Amino acid sequence: VKRAVAYLVLGAGAAVMAYPFIWMATTAFKTLPEAMAPSLALLPARWQWGNIALTFQAAPFGRYFFNSLLISSVSGLAVVVTSLLAGYAFARIRFGGRQIIFGLLLATMMVPFEVTFIPNFVTITRLGWYNTYAALIIPWCANAFGIFLVRQAFLSVPEDLYEAAAMDGCGHFRFLRHIGVGLVKPTLATLFLFAFLGSYNALLWPLVVTGDTSMRVVQVGLAAFVLDSGVRLNLLMCASTIVIMPSIVLYLFTQRYFQESALSAGLKG
Amino acid sequence: VMKNSIPIALLCTLMGLAGCDDGSTTQELIAQGRVAPKPAFRPIDSERAVFWDRQTTETAALLSEITREFNASAPPLPIKIETTGNYGEIYQKTMGSIQAGQLPAMAVSYESMTAQYAESGAVLPLDEHINNPAGGLPEGDLDDFYPAVLESNRYAAFDGSMLSFPFAKSVLVLYANHRVLREAGIDAAPKTWDEFVTQCRTIKARTGKHAYAISVDCSTISAMIFSMGGEILKDGVLQYDQPAAVKAFQILETLVTEDLAYQIPARTFDDETAFASDRIAFTLRTSAGSANMAAAMGGKNGDWSINPIPQVDPAQPATILFGPNVTLFRVGPEQEAAAWAFTKYFTSRDVMIKWCLATGYVPYRKSVAQDKDMQAYWKAWPSNRVPYDALAYARTEPNFSGWQRVRKSVELAETAVLTRLKDARTAAQELQQEAQPFLATSAVAQ
Repeated sequence: VKRAVAYLVLGAGAAVMAYPFIWMATTAFKTLPEAMAPSLALLPARWQWGNIALTFQAAPFGRYFFNSLLISSVSGLAVVVTSLLAGYAFARIRFGGRQIIFGLLLATMMVPFEVTFIPNFVTITRLGWYNTYAALIIPWCANAFGIFLVRQAFLSVPEDLYEAAAMDGCGHFRFLRHIGVGLVKPTLATLFLFAFLGSYNALLWPLVVTGDTSMRVVQVGLAAFVLDSGVRLNLLMCASTIVIMPSIVLYLFTQRYFQESALSAGLKG
Repeated sequence: VMKNSIPIALLCTLMGLAGCDDGSTTQELIAQGRVAPKPAFRPIDSERAVFWDRQTTETAALLSEITREFNASAPPLPIKIETTGNYGEIYQKTMGSIQAGQLPAMAVSYESMTAQYAESGAVLPLDEHINNPAGGLPEGDLDDFYPAVLESNRYAAFDGSMLSFPFAKSVLVLYANHRVLREAGIDAAPKTWDEFVTQCRTIKARTGKHAYAISVDCSTISAMIFSMGGEILKDGVLQYDQPAAVKAFQILETLVTEDLAYQIPARTFDDETAFASDRIAFTLRTSAGSANMAAAMGGKNGDWSINPIPQVDPAQPATILFGPNVTLFRVGPEQEAAAWAFTKYFTSRDVMIKWCLATGYVPYRKSVAQDKDMQAYWKAWPSNRVPYDALAYARTEPNFSGWQRVRKSVELAETAVLTRLKDARTAAQELQQEAQPFLATSAVAQ
């Protein structure tokens, strides 16, 4: 009985969590008046399969997907590499001003995007990067949060392991390549997931540093359904359903690492 | 960094001095013809005149079609449309571009945005282009435009120069859901504010529904004030503590106190959703939303209507003019000529008719009234004509650069009334005290 109650509660929780997603997916196939109705009904009266074609007509989602996946993958990988190197250095290498530099680095997390927005845009323009992949990728190749996360992961690795590796003749790079990466793999996977999603979900920066449709990303495509004077709710839901697919697939692949990282976050090494 | 900066700064200073060895400024050298005048800003694309716009979906497709037709007429440079998000995003991108010294040829803008850009010297005054016998408007052509749409593009703070030109215009209207009105036994939409409040009470009493969903918006408050015979700005003084503004806030206060209306979340279109699903009877919105509303109502024209906003005196009506203008930037003669040529083409009578028939924007030339297609459109459904007729009495909000700050204060005051944090009179008086200093920081000559 206890188990049945537990399943019932968990099932109810899962249904509550899943309902908005299912509503989004089914609303994608409703007419606009039906989509705007206050009814909680999930299924459309008549499935509007043509909404998919209308969605793709409204914006070139194929090109947007290519750009989003390219930009998010490259910047996700770059964040992992830069965070790995910097995080390890802050955790294991003793150098003058280490704490001050780390403190300053953390302080950058307190500066809101809006404050750095115009200086960053001016820099990009003066570098001649307007409307290029460089503008979409390079500013997001490193971040303080990633460095902090990896540093904490390395701090939790027992000191003996470093000493044993050093006695076997391991330098910093060799330790990182052969031992370090394996030890912090869940953290790196989580970091990649965060960086990928952050980049994939970005709207304002890609909109501002690009002009051509060929350089635009999926979030800009979603904005096409929010008009000056209303929302094409059914088409917006259709586009949203298509756009979240890569995020869901990526989460399914990295779920195990993500959970490991979350579980180990509270443990001491 | 400092060690490196000092020699560079010295070098730059010396180079600057060498360039002006007789003490002349660059402006003086240009005036003397010794230095060729260069555009203050670089164009973002030297081969094409870039236009930052906001349109999406079908309206974007139509704008592209109009642009292709224009480009086929061998203009000084072809126009390239870049969809650049909403107006806030266009503003941010333009301000960043001004800092970077690189701009498009033109961008859609509201008056306060143009005033802000103009302070940096980036905006191209249009009077010279308009009056140019070679490429300007034909004599008397400006008289064909409704005065209100031109008025807001002349900036008193910049000697009355025309710094922007009307682009896609609309007016504030009252949308009425007749399914809900019929349910409440009401035949027609209200014409006065008193009727409006009375009908809201009837709807609540007979159907149990809210009558109106309120979207917090300064422009709607401005329209309410105008429709009550009031002003927003008079002789350099804001008028929010005057009877018309107090009355506008009092109507909102009555509506929420008696639970006849409710506030929707900011930047949403929940009122449109509620309207289309018969949960409310009224919403005050831009006429540009009529096409979207028609789709939401399933094309059943008998079930809804577009009406002038309620008035205190329907014989002396007023409403507010909405919709963006277009601002041209100082990015070199060729770019500027192309941008102006496109502006002239887009606002020509035939293109305007084509644009407005397809999008729901209001044609703002008087001569369109004689067009057969336009007349057929109005005849098909009388509501179609309401926004056009409203142009004759539409008013504009002030266009000084500090207006954006005033707008925020107005919306905070409105929210305070709707959430019953303040009573209407206190909110209006405190708004006046808070907003008036914003004028002092702007050059206002109205």
